[in-house]
Amino acid sequence: MLKFKNLRSSLLLICLLIVTVISGCSTKMNPTTTTIHNETNVTEKQSSIILSTTTSTENSGLLDFLLPVFSEDTGIEVKVVAVGTGQALKMGEDGEADLLLVHSKTSEEKFVEEGHGIERFDVMYNDFVLVGPKADPLNITKEAPSDILNAFSIIQEKQGIFISRGDDSGTHKVELKLWSDMNIEPTGNWYVSAGQGMGAVLQMADELMGYTLTDRATYLSMKNTLELDIIVEGDKKLFNQYGIIAVNPEKNDKIDLEAAEKFIDWILSQKGQSLIESFGKDIFGQSLFIPNAK
Amino acid sequence: MELQIKQLIKNYENKLTLNIKDLIIPSSTFLGIIGPNGAGKSTLAKIIATLENATSGEILYNSNPFTPQLLNDMTLVFQKPYLLRTTVYNNIAYPLTLRKIDGKEINKRVCEILEEMDIVNLKDQKAWTLSGGEAQKVALARGLIFQPSLLILDEFTANIDPSSMMVLEKTIKRFYTKYSPTIIMVTHNLQQARRLCSHVAFINKGEIEEFGEINEVIFNSKNTATKNFISGEIVL
Amino acid sequence: MREMINGIIGGFKILISLDKEVYEIIFLSLYVSLTSTLLATLVSVPLGIFIGTKKFIFKNAVVRFIYTMMSLPPVIVGLIVFLFISRKGPFGQLGLVFTPTAMIIAQFILVSPIIVGTLYTASKEKGADIKRVAKTLGANKTQTLILLIKELRFSICTGIISGFGRAISEVGAVMIVGGNIKGHTRVMTTTIAMLRNMGDYENAIAIGIVLLILSFVINSFLYHFQ
Repeated sequence: MLKFKNLRSSLLLICLLIVTVISGCSTKMNPTTTTIHNETNVTEKQSSIILSTTTSTENSGLLDFLLPVFSEDTGIEVKVVAVGTGQALKMGEDGEADLLLVHSKTSEEKFVEEGHGIERFDVMYNDFVLVGPKADPLNITKEAPSDILNAFSIIQEKQGIFISRGDDSGTHKVELKLWSDMNIEPTGNWYVSAGQGMGAVLQMADELMGYTLTDRATYLSMKNTLELDIIVEGDKKLFNQYGIIAVNPEKNDKIDLEAAEKFIDWILSQKGQSLIESFGKDIFGQSLFIPNAK
Repeated sequence: MELQIKQLIKNYENKLTLNIKDLIIPSSTFLGIIGPNGAGKSTLAKIIATLENATSGEILYNSNPFTPQLLNDMTLVFQKPYLLRTTVYNNIAYPLTLRKIDGKEINKRVCEILEEMDIVNLKDQKAWTLSGGEAQKVALARGLIFQPSLLILDEFTANIDPSSMMVLEKTIKRFYTKYSPTIIMVTHNLQQARRLCSHVAFINKGEIEEFGEINEVIFNSKNTATKNFISGEIVL
Repeated sequence: MREMINGIIGGFKILISLDKEVYEIIFLSLYVSLTSTLLATLVSVPLGIFIGTKKFIFKNAVVRFIYTMMSLPPVIVGLIVFLFISRKGPFGQLGLVFTPTAMIIAQFILVSPIIVGTLYTASKEKGADIKRVAKTLGANKTQTLILLIKELRFSICTGIISGFGRAISEVGAVMIVGGNIKGHTRVMTTTIAMLRNMGDYENAIAIGIVLLILSFVINSFLYHFQ
């Protein structure tokens, strides 16, 4: 039982908390607190940027590996927002992110053309693979081990379960392009449109014993929990190029172009690139991302 | 209904609150149970109505042990009535609907009792809008409508305005004359017992100190506790 | 702000558009949430009344457990249900994963504690009085239960309304056990989450408006019944 006295004191406590929080916020938000500002300028500039990226990048663990090194090198903190490519680009358009790391080259080029971003750089690539049940009920491994279009038409013909991201992500766009290359309109009970991230879709393919198109990195990082094997790989059509773009600082006065460019320089540098190459080798025995900055 | 109480003991948290050796209440008795606060009067009433269990001992109803069937033929009116969240009419009709009595008959009987108690004007009022006195009238009407042969009243006029109390008492009297049920009325008001009861039992510290015809107990009491209570009461 | 305004306009457009896909989503949301709430009501009302009016061992522990369950995060419920019904889980054979049935089960678990808790509180307060009155007027066990339900109808309605509110607005559990499969297990909340992920704020808001309107209509309907 809460006695009245207790109630009153807890109310008081809550009020105090609110007041503290509000006053804390107001000092943070007030840019004229010159003393603090000067101090930080003297030592090292503590800034933070928002990197909007795709769920597949986040899920692979690459950023968790790279970002601490970058922060140590430069003192810049990077906050990662992992969403679908569609929303990542939208966040850039709205000026809610300083930096984009996505994999949908045409959309990215359009993004820069329309003036939302400064310039696009190739960073690295990975590849997509078609994964499916270990038993491979459609026997695709035999019939089309490295021909993704053929594999897709087998799935469609035999009405094998196929899980689609269905979320307008880069991976989804690649998948849709493959279907349209075959002039196939994927509909029917066999075609499961999930509208979710790569991890959830892999889980779903595992549960429903279906096939799905995934980036290699996410698949390898989840491989142990899944009963899915690579069915098709090595087709050039499955090549997946990542690009990095600094968002146009005119979008929003909070955008820190200087820090964003520092990150771009860093990730394109010898050090950044070799870190990318080494990522995943210890656990999976292969690089998950192949650096290819020019 | 005749009641026989045998070696009835009730303990509350290991404290003896009621200890009734042997008591026979003949059929058609109007028994007042009087005594000071905390004497165990209400507990006894509730045990007879089977709303509480005795620790040991038994009560015979018409020489038979209790069966759920008996609940159709007895009722208890509380000091603070709980009325159902519906109209006055539905409240009073409720016991009759439980007994699957035909709608016309229900209507007839409810209207009769409303007239008798002079509360026809309340018929369609919602129960939660009633005053204390009105609510108790409805509760009593609801208890009497199925003509129980055992009626237990637990301080049913405490905190009720005098004019409502008059109506309540008049109704009880009329009911008693008409149907000769057994009535057990717990009260701390000796005057009320004198106005209504044929017999009275004086309870003190959980035990029956005296039992008999009302005038016998009041005027010829040999028990000192009873005498003190009665004289105190009369002075009041 | 532009998204908000366009979303509000879009919401009404969606409602009158008669788009089959949208209506399927709306219908499935209602079907799943109403079914789970109905099933939860049938079980939880008697259970809540029982806990509120009877004495039994570990009663305090049970009550505390129910209150804890009332604030259980939907994702946790979703995850647990998923682990039970997934292919490798104990009920994997039933093939419930990513079906509307799985969503109903998860929402049933979310809704039940709310109705039990509401009925427990109400019957603890009034249950003893109601039972005593029923007994003194000669009601048998069934009649007493009916009277309890009648007298507690406001609390039952409150419980159903809050339970349904939790079910229809919840996204974590249905996303996990249902999988947001287009045309199969996609409901309004998972659509909103998905549209947000796709950066389509306008349509997300629009579906949100539809959800709001529907909740309002259903709540008004239930309140009317009180």
